[in-house]
Amino acid sequence: MGASSSPKLSGMQKQVLSLYRGFLRAARSKSAEDRHKIESIVSGEFRRNSKQVDRKNFLYIEYLLRRGQKQLDQLKSPDTVGLSSLNVSVSETIDPKP
Amino acid sequence: MAATAGASPLISMHSRPSHSFQHGLTTLRVSGLKPVSLCYYGRSNLSFRMRPPPVRLQVSCAPKPETVEKVCNIVKKQLALPDDSTVTGESKFAALGADSLDTVEIVMGLEEEFGISVEEESAQSIATVQDAADLIEKLIEKK
Repeated sequence: MGASSSPKLSGMQKQVLSLYRGFLRAARSKSAEDRHKIESIVSGEFRRNSKQVDRKNFLYIEYLLRRGQKQLDQLKSPDTVGLSSLNVSVSETIDPKP
Repeated sequence: MAATAGASPLISMHSRPSHSFQHGLTTLRVSGLKPVSLCYYGRSNLSFRMRPPPVRLQVSCAPKPETVEKVCNIVKKQLALPDDSTVTGESKFAALGADSLDTVEIVMGLEEEFGISVEEESAQSIATVQDAADLIEKLIEKK
Protein backbone atom coordinates (compact mmCIF):
# COMPACT_ATOMS: atom_id res chain seq x y z
CA MET A 1 0.00 0.00 0.00
CA GLY A 2 2.07 2.91 1.25
CA ALA A 3 5.41 1.39 0.41
CA SER A 4 5.44 3.02 -2.99
CA SER A 5 6.83 6.35 -1.89
CA SER A 6 9.30 5.11 0.69
CA PRO A 7 12.52 4.00 -0.93
CA LYS A 8 13.11 0.28 -1.03
CA LEU A 9 15.45 -0.82 1.67
CA SER A 10 18.57 -2.73 0.81
CA GLY A 11 19.27 -6.09 2.39
CA MET A 12 21.85 -4.54 4.63
CA GLN A 13 19.52 -1.80 5.78
CA LYS A 14 16.98 -4.44 6.63
CA GLN A 15 19.58 -6.29 8.66
CA VAL A 16 20.39 -3.12 10.57
CA LEU A 17 16.74 -2.44 11.29
CA SER A 18 16.23 -6.02 12.31
CA LEU A 19 19.16 -5.76 14.71
CA TYR A 20 17.73 -2.57 16.14
CA ARG A 21 14.39 -4.28 16.61
CA GLY A 22 16.19 -7.13 18.33
CA PHE A 23 17.84 -4.75 20.77
CA LEU A 24 14.60 -3.01 21.60
CA ARG A 25 12.96 -6.37 22.10
CA ALA A 26 15.73 -7.60 24.36
CA ALA A 27 15.50 -4.39 26.35
CA ARG A 28 11.90 -5.18 27.20
CA SER A 29 12.99 -8.09 29.35
CA LYS A 30 15.03 -5.88 31.65
CA SER A 31 13.90 -3.78 34.58
CA ALA A 32 12.20 -0.51 33.75
CA GLU A 33 15.15 1.59 34.71
CA ASP A 34 17.71 -0.51 32.88
CA ARG A 35 15.43 -0.78 29.93
CA HIS A 36 15.25 2.94 29.59
CA LYS A 37 19.00 3.23 29.79
CA ILE A 38 19.52 0.44 27.27
CA GLU A 39 17.07 2.01 24.87
CA SER A 40 18.73 5.38 25.01
CA ILE A 41 22.23 3.95 24.54
CA VAL A 42 21.17 1.66 21.71
CA SER A 43 19.17 4.32 19.97
CA GLY A 44 22.01 6.80 20.32
CA GLU A 45 24.49 4.29 18.95
CA PHE A 46 22.40 3.42 15.91
CA ARG A 47 21.64 7.03 15.14
CA ARG A 48 25.22 8.09 15.51
CA ASN A 49 26.40 5.36 13.19
CA SER A 50 23.64 6.08 10.73
CA LYS A 51 25.02 9.58 10.39
CA GLN A 52 28.71 8.92 10.67
CA VAL A 53 29.22 5.76 8.71
CA ASP A 54 29.41 6.07 4.98
CA ARG A 55 26.55 4.10 3.49
CA LYS A 56 28.89 2.56 0.95
CA ASN A 57 31.32 1.31 3.56
CA PHE A 58 29.90 -2.20 3.44
CA LEU A 59 32.82 -3.88 5.15
CA TYR A 60 32.60 -1.65 8.17
CA ILE A 61 28.82 -1.91 8.32
CA GLU A 62 29.11 -5.66 8.16
CA TYR A 63 31.57 -5.55 11.00
CA LEU A 64 29.22 -3.37 13.02
CA LEU A 65 26.37 -5.73 12.30
CA ARG A 66 28.35 -8.71 13.51
CA ARG A 67 29.52 -6.89 16.58
CA GLY A 68 26.00 -5.72 17.29
CA GLN A 69 24.66 -9.23 16.91
CA LYS A 70 27.17 -10.52 19.46
CA GLN A 71 26.32 -7.72 21.85
CA LEU A 72 22.67 -8.47 21.37
CA ASP A 73 23.24 -12.12 22.20
CA GLN A 74 24.93 -11.06 25.41
CA LEU A 75 22.17 -8.65 26.23
CA LYS A 76 19.57 -11.34 25.71
CA SER A 77 21.07 -13.48 28.42
CA PRO A 78 19.09 -13.18 31.65
CA ASP A 79 22.37 -12.70 33.45
CA THR A 80 22.84 -9.40 31.75
CA VAL A 81 20.90 -6.79 33.63
CA GLY A 82 22.12 -3.61 32.06
CA LEU A 83 24.16 -1.86 29.50
CA SER A 84 26.68 0.87 29.89
CA SER A 85 28.55 2.89 27.38
CA LEU A 86 32.03 4.28 27.56
CA ASN A 87 32.52 7.75 26.29
CA VAL A 88 35.38 6.76 24.04
CA SER A 89 33.34 7.65 21.00
CA VAL A 90 33.36 4.33 19.16
CA SER A 91 33.01 1.73 21.84
CA GLU A 92 29.88 0.40 23.40
CA THR A 93 30.38 -2.08 26.18
CA ILE A 94 28.02 -4.57 27.62
CA ASP A 95 28.42 -5.41 31.27
CA PRO A 96 29.66 -8.97 31.31
CA LYS A 97 28.05 -9.64 34.66
CA PRO A 98 26.78 -7.62 37.55
CA MET B 1 -53.26 51.00 -6.71
CA ALA B 2 -51.95 49.09 -9.65
CA ALA B 3 -48.62 50.76 -9.15
CA THR B 4 -48.38 49.78 -5.47
CA ALA B 5 -49.64 46.29 -6.24
CA GLY B 6 -46.90 46.12 -8.80
CA ALA B 7 -44.40 47.56 -6.38
CA SER B 8 -44.93 45.12 -3.54
CA PRO B 9 -44.21 42.03 -5.62
CA LEU B 10 -41.26 43.88 -6.95
CA ILE B 11 -39.96 44.36 -3.42
CA SER B 12 -40.46 40.74 -2.58
CA MET B 13 -38.79 39.90 -5.83
CA HIS B 14 -35.85 41.90 -4.64
CA SER B 15 -35.75 40.29 -1.28
CA ARG B 16 -35.86 36.78 -2.64
CA PRO B 17 -32.98 37.09 -4.98
CA SER B 18 -30.98 38.80 -2.28
CA HIS B 19 -31.68 35.83 -0.03
CA SER B 20 -30.66 33.36 -2.60
CA PHE B 21 -27.72 35.54 -3.39
CA GLN B 22 -26.63 35.30 0.20
CA HIS B 23 -27.04 31.57 0.03
CA GLY B 24 -24.97 31.58 -3.04
CA LEU B 25 -22.37 33.58 -1.22
CA THR B 26 -22.21 31.28 1.73
CA THR B 27 -21.85 28.22 -0.40
CA LEU B 28 -19.20 30.04 -2.33
CA ARG B 29 -17.42 30.84 0.90
CA VAL B 30 -17.61 27.29 2.10
CA SER B 31 -16.16 25.94 -1.04
CA GLY B 32 -13.66 28.75 -0.96
CA LEU B 33 -12.38 27.26 2.28
CA LYS B 34 -11.45 24.17 0.40
CA PRO B 35 -9.58 25.40 -2.61
CA VAL B 36 -7.65 22.20 -2.73
CA SER B 37 -10.71 20.04 -3.14
CA LEU B 38 -11.74 22.19 -6.09
CA CYS B 39 -8.35 21.91 -7.69
CA TYR B 40 -8.45 18.14 -7.58
CA TYR B 41 -11.77 18.13 -9.26
CA GLY B 42 -11.27 14.71 -10.76
CA ARG B 43 -10.65 13.23 -7.32
CA SER B 44 -13.11 15.44 -5.49
CA ASN B 45 -14.49 12.51 -3.54
CA LEU B 46 -11.12 11.74 -2.03
CA SER B 47 -10.19 15.25 -1.09
CA PHE B 48 -13.62 16.01 0.33
CA ARG B 49 -13.22 13.12 2.68
CA MET B 50 -9.88 14.37 3.78
CA ARG B 51 -11.20 17.66 4.99
CA PRO B 52 -14.15 17.88 7.34
CA PRO B 53 -14.09 14.85 9.68
CA PRO B 54 -10.70 13.52 8.77
CA VAL B 55 -10.65 10.32 10.76
CA ARG B 56 -14.13 8.89 10.68
CA LEU B 57 -14.78 8.72 6.97
CA GLN B 58 -11.52 7.01 6.09
CA VAL B 59 -11.97 4.73 8.96
CA SER B 60 -15.31 3.48 7.77
CA CYS B 61 -13.47 1.30 5.27
CA ALA B 62 -11.69 -0.86 7.84
CA PRO B 63 -9.98 0.10 11.11
CA LYS B 64 -11.89 1.54 14.05
CA PRO B 65 -11.50 5.23 14.81
CA GLU B 66 -10.10 4.37 18.24
CA THR B 67 -7.35 2.34 16.68
CA VAL B 68 -6.36 5.08 14.30
CA GLU B 69 -6.45 7.62 17.07
CA LYS B 70 -4.36 5.46 19.36
CA VAL B 71 -1.86 4.96 16.57
CA CYS B 72 -1.76 8.70 15.94
CA ASN B 73 -1.07 9.37 19.60
CA ILE B 74 1.72 6.83 19.75
CA VAL B 75 3.26 8.24 16.60
CA LYS B 76 3.13 11.72 18.08
CA LYS B 77 4.67 10.56 21.31
CA GLN B 78 7.38 8.56 19.62
CA LEU B 79 8.37 11.37 17.28
CA ALA B 80 7.97 13.98 20.02
CA LEU B 81 5.64 16.02 17.86
CA PRO B 82 3.86 19.00 19.43
CA ASP B 83 0.32 18.31 20.64
CA ASP B 84 -1.27 20.63 18.14
CA SER B 85 0.31 18.92 15.15
CA THR B 86 -2.17 17.01 13.05
CA VAL B 87 -1.60 13.34 12.48
CA THR B 88 -4.29 11.57 10.47
CA GLY B 89 -4.70 8.18 8.93
CA GLU B 90 -3.13 9.37 5.73
CA SER B 91 -0.05 10.78 7.40
CA LYS B 92 3.12 9.19 6.15
CA PHE B 93 5.72 8.48 8.81
CA ALA B 94 8.40 9.79 6.51
CA ALA B 95 6.45 13.02 5.98
CA LEU B 96 6.25 13.48 9.75
CA GLY B 97 10.02 13.39 9.90
CA ALA B 98 10.48 9.76 10.88
CA ASP B 99 13.44 7.83 9.54
CA SER B 100 13.55 4.04 9.34
CA LEU B 101 14.85 3.77 12.90
CA ASP B 102 11.93 5.88 14.13
CA THR B 103 9.59 3.62 12.23
CA VAL B 104 11.00 0.60 14.04
CA GLU B 105 10.45 2.39 17.33
CA ILE B 106 6.90 3.28 16.38
CA VAL B 107 6.11 -0.32 15.47
CA MET B 108 7.63 -1.52 18.74
CA GLY B 109 5.57 1.02 20.65
CA LEU B 110 2.44 -0.17 18.85
CA GLU B 111 3.25 -3.78 19.69
CA GLU B 112 3.31 -2.98 23.35
CA GLU B 113 0.27 -0.77 23.32
CA PHE B 114 -1.91 -3.31 21.57
CA GLY B 115 -0.26 -6.42 22.96
CA ILE B 116 0.56 -7.82 19.55
CA SER B 117 3.65 -9.02 17.79
CA VAL B 118 4.37 -7.63 14.35
CA GLU B 119 6.44 -9.76 12.05
CA GLU B 120 9.48 -8.20 10.57
CA GLU B 121 8.26 -8.41 7.03
CA SER B 122 4.99 -6.64 7.70
CA ALA B 123 6.71 -4.14 9.96
CA GLN B 124 8.83 -2.95 7.09
CA SER B 125 5.89 -2.36 4.79
CA ILE B 126 4.20 0.07 7.15
CA ALA B 127 4.49 3.59 5.81
CA THR B 128 1.38 5.39 7.01
CA VAL B 129 -0.77 5.55 10.10
CA GLN B 130 -3.47 3.86 8.08
CA ASP B 131 -1.19 0.93 7.22
CA ALA B 132 -0.36 0.50 10.88
CA ALA B 133 -4.00 0.61 11.95
CA ASP B 134 -4.99 -1.92 9.29
CA LEU B 135 -2.28 -4.30 10.37
CA ILE B 136 -3.13 -3.94 14.04
CA GLU B 137 -6.79 -4.75 13.46
CA LYS B 138 -5.79 -7.77 11.45
CA LEU B 139 -3.50 -9.01 14.20
CA ILE B 140 -6.00 -8.37 16.95
CA GLU B 141 -8.59 -10.32 15.03
CA LYS B 142 -6.26 -13.29 14.76
CA LYS B 143 -5.65 -13.36 18.48
